[in-house]
Amino acid sequence: MRREQRIVRAWCEVQSAERTAERTHWLEFAALEIAAQAAPGQFVMVGFGGRGWGSPFLPRPNSVAAVCGERIGLLIRAFGEGSRRLASLQPGDSALLLGPLGSRYRLGDARRILCVAGGVGLAPFLFLRRWAQQRGCGGEIRLLYGERDARAVFDPSKIRELCGLEAEIWTEDGSLGNRGRVTEGIDLDGVDLVLACGPTPMLKLVRKQALQAGVPCQLAVEEHMACGVGTCIGCAIETVDPDTGEQGYDLACVDGPVFPAERLRW
Amino acid sequence: MVDLAQTVFGVTFQNPVLLASGTCGYGEEYADIIDVDQLGGIVTKAVTLRPRVGNPPCRISETPAGMINSIGLANVGLEAFKRGKLPWLRENLHRAQVLVNVAGWSVDDYVKVVGGLDDEHGFLGYEINVSCPNVQGGTLFGTDKVALAELVRALRAVTQRPLVIKLTPNVADIGVFAQICEENGADGLSSINTFPGMLIDVETRRPVIGSTTGGISGPAIRPMGVYVTWKVASRVKLPVIGIGGICTARDAMEYILAGAALVQIGTAMFVDPYSAPDTVQGLHELCERQGVGRLSELVGALEV
Repeated sequence: MRREQRIVRAWCEVQSAERTAERTHWLEFAALEIAAQAAPGQFVMVGFGGRGWGSPFLPRPNSVAAVCGERIGLLIRAFGEGSRRLASLQPGDSALLLGPLGSRYRLGDARRILCVAGGVGLAPFLFLRRWAQQRGCGGEIRLLYGERDARAVFDPSKIRELCGLEAEIWTEDGSLGNRGRVTEGIDLDGVDLVLACGPTPMLKLVRKQALQAGVPCQLAVEEHMACGVGTCIGCAIETVDPDTGEQGYDLACVDGPVFPAERLRW
Repeated sequence: MVDLAQTVFGVTFQNPVLLASGTCGYGEEYADIIDVDQLGGIVTKAVTLRPRVGNPPCRISETPAGMINSIGLANVGLEAFKRGKLPWLRENLHRAQVLVNVAGWSVDDYVKVVGGLDDEHGFLGYEINVSCPNVQGGTLFGTDKVALAELVRALRAVTQRPLVIKLTPNVADIGVFAQICEENGADGLSSINTFPGMLIDVETRRPVIGSTTGGISGPAIRPMGVYVTWKVASRVKLPVIGIGGICTARDAMEYILAGAALVQIGTAMFVDPYSAPDTVQGLHELCERQGVGRLSELVGALEV
């Protein structure tokens, strides 16, 4: 196993914590060595080590949402016990971080990139543009961002501040931005790369549209994880080798979380 | 200075803390996070005769103070292990001992894997998995006295290396199974593998785990693991490797007092990869505080 990056395990202090939408929190951790390496699409395992031998027990995978100097930002939505504990962190608290982990989006020489985000799947796109610009990839980016309703929407001015993009917001009830599902906003005309992150049903719709149109597409998937580094073999995802047709499983933690759309057996 | 070394199977383990099978891959996955060579040893992910893709997702989920898994012995298979995994172990581990975990569905399966590995370099011996709850027939040999005796005899005939049998707790009297291993030529016992369990999503009314049931691990099972280890160690003279929910040096010490010569850390590695090295350090401190010069003095030192 030859990794491109060195995985860092460190107790990291919360530098800032703010509630940004319903059940949704923006946390910034001092995590110098992780920040120096993390790329959009990658994730960190966030847990409480020896403070967490009870419940919640396992660390939770969270997509890196920002790299600001020596800090990384995470977008946490409280769904269950594990994420509620993360969402309750305050400045001065610390958590055990392991990362950066997994694959990243590969922009290549794409000139027009469509990003489709559902819910906290917004995370990787909050720093994609700046990350790409720093590496001389200057493609034009359009960002579609969907939520159930206005209360769940991450503050649009904060999105602008973080990523320098104006997100096109979709809510299912029309309470903010466009009414409908975010996938209804997809227009692949002239697009030469689609990137998506969000709930699996959304990813499936994005994948279908991109494959039909023959536009390269990369999806960041979500799975239950324990280790994050390929040892527990728990985060299996159904895949197919596009060249040979051979079916199998890849691991979301080390082969993903970002997969080419044609590799997923959905 | 506390001496944590344990002499087991005729070799020295620099300390009693091993990484458990199925939680450390083939060692190199953790190599840039911890110094695996500082540990007592590692037990590889199970190796089967042919590669296995494993069970359908969802394979794991959190449970109270632990987790449930049903991986299905996903592994690269004997040939790829020899070609792609064993070289790393051989080249990078000089002080940590390596046990190769072996799984199969017939005596012939096990014999072929052990026979196919025995002339290779880079490992000490075998841990024979007769206790996987997540594949059909996975606990067959661990729960059938006649089949277990036959398997241990057959393996003894093909290898001189240390042969450790990993027992399942899912039998009425594990002592009987331990004794069968001893009588048929095993060198040691690992106690225990996971307990079968189930997790149900009450909204969908479906099992959370793709293959319906799984094995429970983590601190939730530690008291049962300690109990079973104590029963096994009381019954046989073979060295016992204690496994089940060990997260800290105190947990490891429970197993050692119950009779374990070595211990394995598994699920705790997912919570913090430093669990194993921290346990080594913690055992030093615990022994020092208690005025114990050699950890080996404490094996089975339980007073009842």
